[in-house]
Amino acid sequence: MERKILVIDDEQPTLNMFRLLLAAYGYEIITAANGAEGLEAFERERPGVVLTDIKMPVMDGIEVLKRIKEIDPHAEVIVITGHGDMDLAIRALNLDATDFINKPVQRVALSQALKRAEERIAIAKSKAEEISVEDVDGAAILTIRGSVTARSEPFLARAMERARELERPRIILHFDESASTNGAGLALLTQLLLEARERGERVCIAGLSENFRKVFEIVGIAKLVVIYESDAAALAAP
Amino acid sequence: MSYFKDSLKRYGSLSLKNKIFSSILVVVLLISVAIAFVARWILVSSLTAELEMRGSAVAHSIAERGGTFMLDKDYPQLLSLIFDEARLHERKHLISYIFITDQGGEVLAHTLTRPFPSELRLANQVPQNENRSLRLVNVESESIHDIAVPIKEGLYRIGTVHVGLSKSHIDSLISKLRLTFLGFISAIIGIIFFLSNRITQYITRPISKLTRISDELSRGNFDISLDFQEDDQNWRPTECPAYVNTEMPCWHFDQSARQAATHRTCKNCVFYRKRSGDEVVQLGDSFRNMVWSIKLYRRRLRESEEKYRSLFDSGPDPVFVVDCENFHIADANPRAQELYGYEKEELLGMSYLALGPENRSDCLITYEGRGGGTGCLYHPKVLHYKKGTKPFYVNVHACPISYKGRHAIIIAVTDITEMIEKDAQVIQAGKMKSLGEMSAGIAHELNQPLNAIKMGSEFLALMEEQGRTASPEQFHQVVVEISAQVDRAAEIINTLRAFGRKAEMLKERIDVNKPIGSVLTIVRRQFELDNIRFNLDLGQNLPPILAQDNRLQQVFFNLLTNARDAINDASQASDMDARRSIGIRTSAEAGGVGVDISDTGVGIPDDVLDKIFEPFFTTKETGQGMGLGLAITYGIVRDYGGQIRIDSEPGRGTTFHLFFPQTH
Repeated sequence: MERKILVIDDEQPTLNMFRLLLAAYGYEIITAANGAEGLEAFERERPGVVLTDIKMPVMDGIEVLKRIKEIDPHAEVIVITGHGDMDLAIRALNLDATDFINKPVQRVALSQALKRAEERIAIAKSKAEEISVEDVDGAAILTIRGSVTARSEPFLARAMERARELERPRIILHFDESASTNGAGLALLTQLLLEARERGERVCIAGLSENFRKVFEIVGIAKLVVIYESDAAALAAP
Repeated sequence: MSYFKDSLKRYGSLSLKNKIFSSILVVVLLISVAIAFVARWILVSSLTAELEMRGSAVAHSIAERGGTFMLDKDYPQLLSLIFDEARLHERKHLISYIFITDQGGEVLAHTLTRPFPSELRLANQVPQNENRSLRLVNVESESIHDIAVPIKEGLYRIGTVHVGLSKSHIDSLISKLRLTFLGFISAIIGIIFFLSNRITQYITRPISKLTRISDELSRGNFDISLDFQEDDQNWRPTECPAYVNTEMPCWHFDQSARQAATHRTCKNCVFYRKRSGDEVVQLGDSFRNMVWSIKLYRRRLRESEEKYRSLFDSGPDPVFVVDCENFHIADANPRAQELYGYEKEELLGMSYLALGPENRSDCLITYEGRGGGTGCLYHPKVLHYKKGTKPFYVNVHACPISYKGRHAIIIAVTDITEMIEKDAQVIQAGKMKSLGEMSAGIAHELNQPLNAIKMGSEFLALMEEQGRTASPEQFHQVVVEISAQVDRAAEIINTLRAFGRKAEMLKERIDVNKPIGSVLTIVRRQFELDNIRFNLDLGQNLPPILAQDNRLQQVFFNLLTNARDAINDASQASDMDARRSIGIRTSAEAGGVGVDISDTGVGIPDDVLDKIFEPFFTTKETGQGMGLGLAITYGIVRDYGGQIRIDSEPGRGTTFHLFFPQTH
């Protein structure tokens, strides 16, 4: 199986621990101690997932991200940021990073990020519908999987149309566990939500992963809509 | 001889008045006696001679006229002749007798009214070839000057005329003359006695008065009348402007001011005055001038003494006068008592070294003139002790002085406790600000070991959760790594705590590489993340310097962050081609340790270079810096007796050369 993963970090102890942990998850690990080495390893090995630290001397993680995206725009790059450094995380998302995790790295966060990446890869491979619309009692639910990017715009617009056609009192944007977004995706969502508010539609968000909930809060989307833990919570809300 | 000496001694102890008086008297007496003797001798001898001449004249006259009568043997005529001569007017008192003898010595005639004394006949014979003979003869207990003159007829002597002059008559005449003369001399002495008495009084009275006034002045009584003669209504020295204004120089008063070439004299001096008169009057005037000068100087002296006493007493800082021989406190002002907590009685006489031991060698240094231009010494930030040995910090000035005729030093003390506290607060604030600026980097730095620890423990937890067992190698690797990372985190925290802690006041011997190492622990990685490389050249076995580790950390921290800012101003961190490096070099230099910190930043323009250590001077944008970093750095380095020199080339970089003197 192709579960190759590249880890770029200037901290040797961190690399050592990544090697142990990721091996326990069953990955084949390639490590690089700096950005240049990492790019070289990416070219050579073409791993499915790249984990890179952002703060590194000489060539930092942002630069590495840019170069990798130049080589392969579909590469799953997860950036590792200092604890709570959301500015850097958003900067990375704007550069098409698919996810981010905080340092110190929590096992749960790591495994979920890896799982999301796996799922996104699987979705991309199966060419499955990334956005589906569902009609439940009292609401139209848009389920979003994979990555919301600039390319998602027509799909999202079409899905919204279908949801409106259902004429339910509210629309729930349900983000799947694997869902990710980048800068363009965030702009798209913001525009969509502003448009819905102008129309007087009740839109809310549910099922968002912890990481992206934080991002939504920071970029201001959380101010436009109410974000619920799950669909049930959203439906239960008055 | 000894009697003469005694007299001189006794004379010397006489008062001037008696000296002059007795001297004049003795001299006048001596002269009078001399005159008396000379006059008496002249008068007596000339009177006697005159009387004898008269007697001779009578004898010759008789001899001339009596010759004929003798040849004629007309003896009655001869007798009447000698009677006539003997009884003529006053002669009868003078002439006792006249008699004539012939060649054979027979008496031819005589005027005696009694029988002719036979011993008289041959008592006085005129020798041949003589024409006169004089001899004192005694006739019946009466002294008589007998004058014999020969009577001649042609060449032949035919007889002799004897004229007797009464000696008692002559003596009575002489004694009368002597009495008159003695009276005259006495009268002169009396007059001179009176005159000399008056003259001595005239001379000595002002002198006695001067003496009396001088005695009064010595006792400090300056209010006595000074005029020796009549009152001088026009002389009012209190109207002299220099008398009222003690700042005004007047050469009459102040000879020393003449050297300063600033002396001036009023056109009409109301004070200085010489009246015409004899020496006594002039002496009196001079004396009066002198007394007024003294009076004025006493006034000035008192004023000056009061002025300096009040300065001493009201000064805001403690001042001590310390005897150089035994370091006893000779005087101290009230502020000294207040600050040190001693009573004045306790301070006086106690050893100054109990308050501050730093000044032990000051006396020697100032005495040898090694105290610099003013001869004073300055000790900044030394430890003094209050009563009860409570220490506090002071700055001390010590200046040499002569106090009550002894070598002493004046020690002025400034309490700088508050200043030092303020300094410490400013330094601490600067440090906290630096810490704040560094907090993001420090958080990142701490996050690294935490991350490794977290991941190691998560690995073990995962294994445990999944019911798997980690291999002994994996387990060992995790445990060792966790332990190492905990140490690493602890070191960062310790360094931070050491840096943030308030510095102790006491200096210690330290190796300058130690604080540099501590600062590098904090900033190194962060700078490297900014793409700044370090070139370290730290000398080994450097001589120790006297400083505080914490403060030195702050110095190097400030210099390193400034270097980073300068580099960031010159190039971007992402610019791969830019020269971005900081060099740190430490080495032993003559008498101390040198530290060079160089950067490849923008450099410092020349017009800014001399202002760079001023507080609140900053080239950074408002809000970026307070402008205290280098001022604090400079203050700290100076505190350790060190120096900072800057070499900067705008566009190429800056090097800070620090020098610390080594401790012994």
